[in-house]
Amino acid sequence: MVIPLVVVALLFIVYPLVKLTADAFTQGDGGFSNFAAVFASRAIVNSMLNTMMMSLIVTVLCLVMGGSLAWALARPQRPWVKALLWAAVLLPFWMGVVVKTYAWAVLLAKNGAINSTLLQLGVIEEPLSLLYTPFAVILGMTYTMLPYAVLAMYPTMVGFNRELLNSARILGSSHTQAMVKVWFPLVLPGFIAAAAIVFAISIGFYITPVLLGGAQVPFMATVIGDDIFAYFNYPRAAASSVILLLLALTVLLVTLRGVGAKAIKGGLGA
Amino acid sequence: MTTTTTDRTPALATRPASGPATSPKHRGARTLDGGTRWLGRVLVAISIAFLLVPAIAIAIMSFANDARVSFPPREWGFDRYIAVFTSGKWGGPTLLSIEVAIWTAIGCLLIALPLVLALKRGRFPARGVLEGVAVAPLIIPISAYAVGMYAVFAQLDLLGEKPGIVLAHIVHGLPLVVIVLSTSLEQIKPDLELAAMTMGASRLRAWTGVTLRLLTPSIAAAFLFGFISSFDEAVFITFLGGPGLVTLPKYIFDSVQYSVDPAITAMATLLMLATTALMLLGTALRKEPK
Repeated sequence: MVIPLVVVALLFIVYPLVKLTADAFTQGDGGFSNFAAVFASRAIVNSMLNTMMMSLIVTVLCLVMGGSLAWALARPQRPWVKALLWAAVLLPFWMGVVVKTYAWAVLLAKNGAINSTLLQLGVIEEPLSLLYTPFAVILGMTYTMLPYAVLAMYPTMVGFNRELLNSARILGSSHTQAMVKVWFPLVLPGFIAAAAIVFAISIGFYITPVLLGGAQVPFMATVIGDDIFAYFNYPRAAASSVILLLLALTVLLVTLRGVGAKAIKGGLGA
Repeated sequence: MTTTTTDRTPALATRPASGPATSPKHRGARTLDGGTRWLGRVLVAISIAFLLVPAIAIAIMSFANDARVSFPPREWGFDRYIAVFTSGKWGGPTLLSIEVAIWTAIGCLLIALPLVLALKRGRFPARGVLEGVAVAPLIIPISAYAVGMYAVFAQLDLLGEKPGIVLAHIVHGLPLVVIVLSTSLEQIKPDLELAAMTMGASRLRAWTGVTLRLLTPSIAAAFLFGFISSFDEAVFITFLGGPGLVTLPKYIFDSVQYSVDPAITAMATLLMLATTALMLLGTALRKEPK
């Protein structure tokens, strides 16, 4: 009685994806016509390139900042430093995405916290246009994804045997050499798994680009939403969604082959 | 030669005099090392500030009485909080969010608990596939998934319906709940069940009396995580909720899109406090069974 329920539930998880793909090929004129319509639209192609570009930047930022945070968390630290690090990582992780995005909107607005502070300090004469720029979207998305990146890399960083660094030092390498030649290759799978997770989630972002980017920074998700609710062009929205899905799947599968399922599972906390 | 005393590895202090430490080559490496360490520390400091500043700024701004959002507040007070509780706008979305989140958390547990028990205690083929499917929604681009759900819900007449949203939120929350339960169950040894059974307990009695009882704190934690994942969710509700269903995140999303109600700073601060408290509770619960 219980097991069938579980099976039905799991089928329900898969079914929307199956239906989406089927619809993309059968609705409208069918075949590849919906995909042709996607690529014929300049706006959608632009948003697609924009989404990938921004997600890539967000991924790099998350790896650099997340890598240093995860490494700091994995080393022995004074208790207050450790508490501060965990608070910094977990507080945004626990906030809802709308609240996080709203916080950035308030910081970046014309009369927001950043502009009023800079004006009062006399650094600028006129308020800067920060909100509704690609810069704002990148900040907001990085803020949302950074905790994921840290938690994804943390197991690898903890698993790194720090004695290896000492060995390298005793054998005469400098600290920098040891980090580049010993530490980095060994924690690389963690970086790659985190990159795949961050990128796959980032390309689906909806709330952050709408609130922080507005019409200036079109994202795949916003274009898809417009197709459904403004242009009532569901077949094209389905095709765009399938492309988004394929992109995420490709990145994840390539990573899976490269670093193995264990790294990704570890990255997800599973 | 720069001397950084903190964070120095023991290797450097006890390094044998293998060569003159003052040779030009070594001096260069030392300077580079100092730079690397400094860079690392600056990166960590910037990252911490980046993660904490927005949350702190919102909390500060919520205690302003100024008519418009301003920083730093010119006049301090609790006006924003009074507005949240007296305007009458926030009650409906909050209650709906709580209701949907409770059903979601229950639904997640009903599916995740038998699934995890079967995965970790059972022996049948394709266990990996089942686990993969349950965790998959975590990494599927959420907007593409929402479009798929939209199509299915249109078929089933669930668009704009409360049960539909609960269903979507269950899918959204399931990965986290499954992960929490399965990592906790892995720490409970099957030997305990076997011991109970050798002493005459039936399989069911061994499961309910031993395993489930040890798992109870984690079940409570999983409930909280399922609750929060639904309570925070904003994309599915936008695609599937229609105009009628407005949860708290949807309400904030809509109002930020069209105007800026300063009371949102207070609501956001309250939400931060609430989710942090619940998450801390959930994390504390999970630490119990050792």
